[in-house]
Amino acid sequence: MSVFTKMYRGETHFDFVAISKKTLIVSAALVVLSLVMLLVRPLNLSIDFTGGVVVTVENEAGVDIAVVRSSLEGIGQAGARVQLTGDGLILIQTEALDAVSQDELVLTAATVAGTDVNAVTIDAVGPTFGAEVTQAAIQALVVFLIVVALFITWRFEWKMAMAALAALAHDLIITGGIFALFGFVVTPATVIAILTILGYSLYDTVVVFDKVNENVELMHDQYTYTEIVNTSMNQVLMRSINTSLTSLIPVGSLLFVGSFALGAHTLREFALALFIGIALGTYSSIFVAAPVLAIWKEREPDWIAERKRVERKRGGNKTVVTAASVPTKVETVPAAPSAPTGASGAAARAPRKRKKRR
Amino acid sequence: MSRKKALLTLLITLAIAWGSIGAMLLAGWAPKLGLDLQGGFAVVLVGPEGTDPDTLDTAVEIMRRRIEELGSVQEPEISVQGERSIVVQLPGVEDRERALEAVGTTGEMSFRPVLDLVLESPALTDPDGDHPDNLDADGLSDPDDVHAAIAYLPSEDGAFVYVVGGAFLTGSDMKGGRAQFSGTGGHGGAGGWVVVPEFTDEGGEKFRLATGELATFPVGSPQRRLAIVVDGVVGSAPEVAAGVSPDEGLDPNQVVITIGSSDNPQAESEDLAAILNYGALPTTFERERVESVSASLGADSLKAGLIAGLLGLALVTIYMVIYYRILGVIAMVGLTVFGSLLIGAIILLGETQGTTLTLAGVTGIIVSIGITLDSYIVYFERVKEEYHSGRPLRPSIDHAYPGAFSTILKGDTVTFLAAVLLWLLAVGPVKGFALTLGIATIVDVIVSYYYTRPGTWLVAHSALGEGGWFSVRGAMGKSSQPSIPAESVEVTS
Repeated sequence: MSVFTKMYRGETHFDFVAISKKTLIVSAALVVLSLVMLLVRPLNLSIDFTGGVVVTVENEAGVDIAVVRSSLEGIGQAGARVQLTGDGLILIQTEALDAVSQDELVLTAATVAGTDVNAVTIDAVGPTFGAEVTQAAIQALVVFLIVVALFITWRFEWKMAMAALAALAHDLIITGGIFALFGFVVTPATVIAILTILGYSLYDTVVVFDKVNENVELMHDQYTYTEIVNTSMNQVLMRSINTSLTSLIPVGSLLFVGSFALGAHTLREFALALFIGIALGTYSSIFVAAPVLAIWKEREPDWIAERKRVERKRGGNKTVVTAASVPTKVETVPAAPSAPTGASGAAARAPRKRKKRR
Repeated sequence: MSRKKALLTLLITLAIAWGSIGAMLLAGWAPKLGLDLQGGFAVVLVGPEGTDPDTLDTAVEIMRRRIEELGSVQEPEISVQGERSIVVQLPGVEDRERALEAVGTTGEMSFRPVLDLVLESPALTDPDGDHPDNLDADGLSDPDDVHAAIAYLPSEDGAFVYVVGGAFLTGSDMKGGRAQFSGTGGHGGAGGWVVVPEFTDEGGEKFRLATGELATFPVGSPQRRLAIVVDGVVGSAPEVAAGVSPDEGLDPNQVVITIGSSDNPQAESEDLAAILNYGALPTTFERERVESVSASLGADSLKAGLIAGLLGLALVTIYMVIYYRILGVIAMVGLTVFGSLLIGAIILLGETQGTTLTLAGVTGIIVSIGITLDSYIVYFERVKEEYHSGRPLRPSIDHAYPGAFSTILKGDTVTFLAAVLLWLLAVGPVKGFALTLGIATIVDVIVSYYYTRPGTWLVAHSALGEGGWFSVRGAMGKSSQPSIPAESVEVTS
């Protein structure tokens, strides 16, 4: 049977935890690189955060940059950034200006470009407003993370919450690193994209953890935690792949249509952040969140005891049976709490977490 | 689940989803487009520190009136945001300069002596008479010239025209005013709602002199009244009370303005106090954010969003149908149910709350395609899992649902939480995104329960359950054996 057939049937038996000991090193390296990148080349924040004025006008007169510059110098805007885009627009960006200077700038832009004043597009943000937007965004992010951590702690457990947050941090930092590396502009739309990424990454992680929890109940007295995590990830693998594909396809078409085909620049950064983020989110829920959880839980006294017991049961030698041999559903195991055999703490504590099952 | 129950649930769901969107579209309702999609102009104005909410409301009222006078704006949206910001959104506005002027200068408050009270502007009743310059078509004066020696200004309800003299007191002479219930103040000592104006020292002195002058006119004469004017409209014109000495005028520290006969004297006194506070603002509003989108840019963005959405949908359809066969078709039909409900909710919010669909909202919808398809994938993968563990096909369909639904519910809860938080905490475009995302998660749960479950059940129990490659069984992959193949026990040391 080919790997794809196995995947299609949900019969894969990858040892994710073992694989991810290597991928975690790669992830850690990427995170460190991204952090360095962010320090060396700070994010290119749009005027929405920093305050400033952007004036866009169609270059009907076909003037070149020098002409625009000299007319800007005439109104005391020598420091303005001037850019001519490929599709015949003049972009002028300045620091935050007062109302009178804004009007002056619009008038100058219209004159130099040979258009009507009302054809000039202006986007002006005062410095305090920009600061407020930034503050609101950071505040939203922090509160979001706290609430999500509380929710996962409540529905699952706190170590899962921490593992999920680790995956989130991984996604965020690497996305930030990529933006810093290429100097992409961070706009409010990008912030939305980042928040969406958080949502996706979390959703994915929740699905994996949900499966892990379910399998803990079914398999706890025969398998180690790592094996349970492995089984769970093999079971959700196709879901993860399919979900990220069906999410990436619309976003990919947004990226393609929005930025290349139709030239709607506002969409480009947004779609790009989404695209990178969703891909990272899928990756991190499988290769960061779940392994971190497995490695961490494996150190708990209960699960150490469980591992020793399982090893003893399987013949006393050091043979490790991967989760590959675990049937996808262990229907024969009664769901009712069974008396723990031996001194296994895991068996004794797992039933406590049992929720009402179908 | 019985066939009858499944069929009934499915039909009701489809009828509600498709029926409501169909009815809305037939009624000519469509999502209200935001500025960034239809082009237009937006300004955020910020008042000085400590501006109270009533004052902001007064400013909003004045701005709205001015914008409506421009005529060309279809649906201006002017609202207070946060503590002291006013957001003015003018979709489709063409003359930006005039619009900016209208919201930028919201008119000064002044106290002016009333010279006469008439039903129509004297310029209309007596075209040949001697009138002030710069009158508009209705024969009314320029609101911005408060010092004109003579001006024709309308009352608030437009029923009268006041002929007033030059202002003797302007906003800078005021500290503000407050509405209060006075046990003895109004209506000849019977008690009632009054407004207590507060003057600066200089303003108080001006007020004393002016009221002294007004007091020389007989009680009941229009000339004994003083007009409180905001932005060229007489908000109130109280008469100087009988018995005030022309030599002394009114003591500015003890003056109260009583509210005449009114249906709601409390509201009226509060309005007047808000006008006085508004007039007393030390500075006008600062333009904090100006944003304009040309109509063509807006249309391009909308087009890009729509084309991207459709292209994405087409590609996703191909993928889902190839991978999940007939189940993929169920998912795609489900997507139309989801889309109908989502768009329906957005239209409804637009019609009732004035909520607009922005570019961020459109991207929210595109993102939610992924969210809702995931719910199908979670379910179908679970069905396959059940099936491969040796359960027969149809029981697998039933058995997989509760677990799948629980996962969907948890995932949607996290996303919903995120959306609510975003909506509460964020500003501007992020809000629009949060709104569509939040609605999408709710709709997703509803669709999963009332569409996906009965729909899948019915298909599995129909001819399409077994009929070859495209059937539900076809989507399961070949094996129907309990799968504990010996080869997969990989023993490592």
